[in-house]
Amino acid sequence: MYITQISVYLENVRGTLREMTKLLAENDIDIVALSIADTTNFGIVRLVIREVSIDKAVNCMKNAGFMVKKNNVICICVPNKPGALDNVLAVIEETDVSIEYMYSFNYSVNGDALFILRLSDSERVMELFKERNIKMYSQEEINRL
Amino acid sequence: MKGTPKEHKLYNPKMECMSREELRELQSKRLRETVKIEYENVALYRARMDARGVKPEDIKTVDDLRLLPFTQKTDLRDEFPFGLIAAPKSEIVRIQGSSGTTGKPIVVGYTQNDVDVWAEMVARAITAAGGGKDDIIHIAYGYGLFTGGLGAHQGAAKVGAMVVPMSSGNTPRQIMMMKELGATMLCCTPSYATFLGETIREMGIKPEEMRLKSGCFGAEPWSEEMRANLEELLGIDACDIYGLVEIGGPGVAFECLEKHGMHVSEDNVIVEIIDPVTEEPLPYGESGELVFTTIMKTGMPMLRYRTHDICSLDASPCKCGRTHVRMERITGRTDDMIIIRGVNVFPSQIESVLVGMDGVSPHYMLIVDRVNSTDKLGVQVELTNEMFSDTVAEIEKLRDGIKEKIKSVVGISVKVQLVPPKSIPRSEGKAKRVIDNRNI
Repeated sequence: MYITQISVYLENVRGTLREMTKLLAENDIDIVALSIADTTNFGIVRLVIREVSIDKAVNCMKNAGFMVKKNNVICICVPNKPGALDNVLAVIEETDVSIEYMYSFNYSVNGDALFILRLSDSERVMELFKERNIKMYSQEEINRL
Repeated sequence: MKGTPKEHKLYNPKMECMSREELRELQSKRLRETVKIEYENVALYRARMDARGVKPEDIKTVDDLRLLPFTQKTDLRDEFPFGLIAAPKSEIVRIQGSSGTTGKPIVVGYTQNDVDVWAEMVARAITAAGGGKDDIIHIAYGYGLFTGGLGAHQGAAKVGAMVVPMSSGNTPRQIMMMKELGATMLCCTPSYATFLGETIREMGIKPEEMRLKSGCFGAEPWSEEMRANLEELLGIDACDIYGLVEIGGPGVAFECLEKHGMHVSEDNVIVEIIDPVTEEPLPYGESGELVFTTIMKTGMPMLRYRTHDICSLDASPCKCGRTHVRMERITGRTDDMIIIRGVNVFPSQIESVLVGMDGVSPHYMLIVDRVNSTDKLGVQVELTNEMFSDTVAEIEKLRDGIKEKIKSVVGISVKVQLVPPKSIPRSEGKAKRVIDNRNI
């Protein structure tokens, strides 16, 4: 099961990130998770927000001239104990799938951590996650956070 | 340098100082010969002259020049590679060239006569800048199809100087060689000369440890401010030199030590200034498009070649004794060509690369900057939905792909910057494609 992530292209110019957050604030959009990939020339902001706000967020940013795209990512829950994250990566390593990027975010469920994963081949890894009882979050569960 | 009295030297006093009347006679005679060669050997010229109802016999003096058709850079591209060659192919001993407008290069074939004529033009330029047999001439123009390196080399050899053919690049090695060999003259682009001067200072080398006295600098536009800075940095006389491969290469025009305009090598070319719109010739002093007719070339002569460079001519006498008219600094272009590190770049070349790539937006802007005396070309390209990805690797791959493709077509490295959609201004009518921040 996937959740929706919104990616936004930002030029590496002072003030552009604020421009984006200001826009989201004005449109009353709550950010559930955020990560920034930064390079010397540009950045990509990745956002997870509740389903009800997704279209509104995409449209307001597009209208303001941002390059915005929706894509599917996996959200998993990792227990708050040593070796738990390693255990997840070990499962991925069993396959030849690679991780494009991952980030954790600031909601904990019963003290456990949440991670967003973007993989080169998600379907195969999701099957393995199910088999190994690695908890994946649905968009509905994200909506309730 | 400033204040010191100037000693003017001439390479070929007979040609360089002949009276205007004699020169006119000589030009008329040579023009008649060139027109005959073109008409008899080049289909394009014959067809164009026939279309105008002009026969070679109609061209008697330089005043009849206006009867002749113009030649454009596009003609060289359309007739690539040998369509405009007027001599038997076995007589062509050299090919030189430059980048063209759509990725196809412009090539020019030279007979031995053409190479010799060209070498003498540069020899005159070097002599006018104070050079001669006793000089050690350091050449840091690129060698290759580009005429800078080989052109300066041949001219320096012709005056009998000690030639150091360094070509471009590897600045510390250039400086080491200049210092150790005791180079007295430098030939390269003015921006590279400035960079060399700045680097020499940074390395803690004192001007008196160098023996440089002058140089011929060209292949790109520069200003009086740049000259003053360069002369101060290197403690030299910096003379401007102009040329283009279509007309022979550097040396078509050059400055003497008076440094008030470049003497056009009028025994080898006829120069005109025309109104770029009406195509009518303009009198001396008026600003317009520079047009050249070669009258000594036999491999690929050119009739009324439109340079698209804008400047004016000055026929007032010069203290150096040369009678040849002087062209003022190029003040602009009638087209949108820009010159980056000696390479001619047309926005249309960049456009053809972008249009030819899947998913790439044709909206772009070229940004030209001069950083540490070196020209940098930036290309802003708008992102499209197809191009945008949530992974950095994908975006970088696309960006590097555009960069590589532009390099293979234009011949220079550019910085590609992907910008948000619709961030490049749309204009009504002719789009503005270049922002030049160089303040030349």
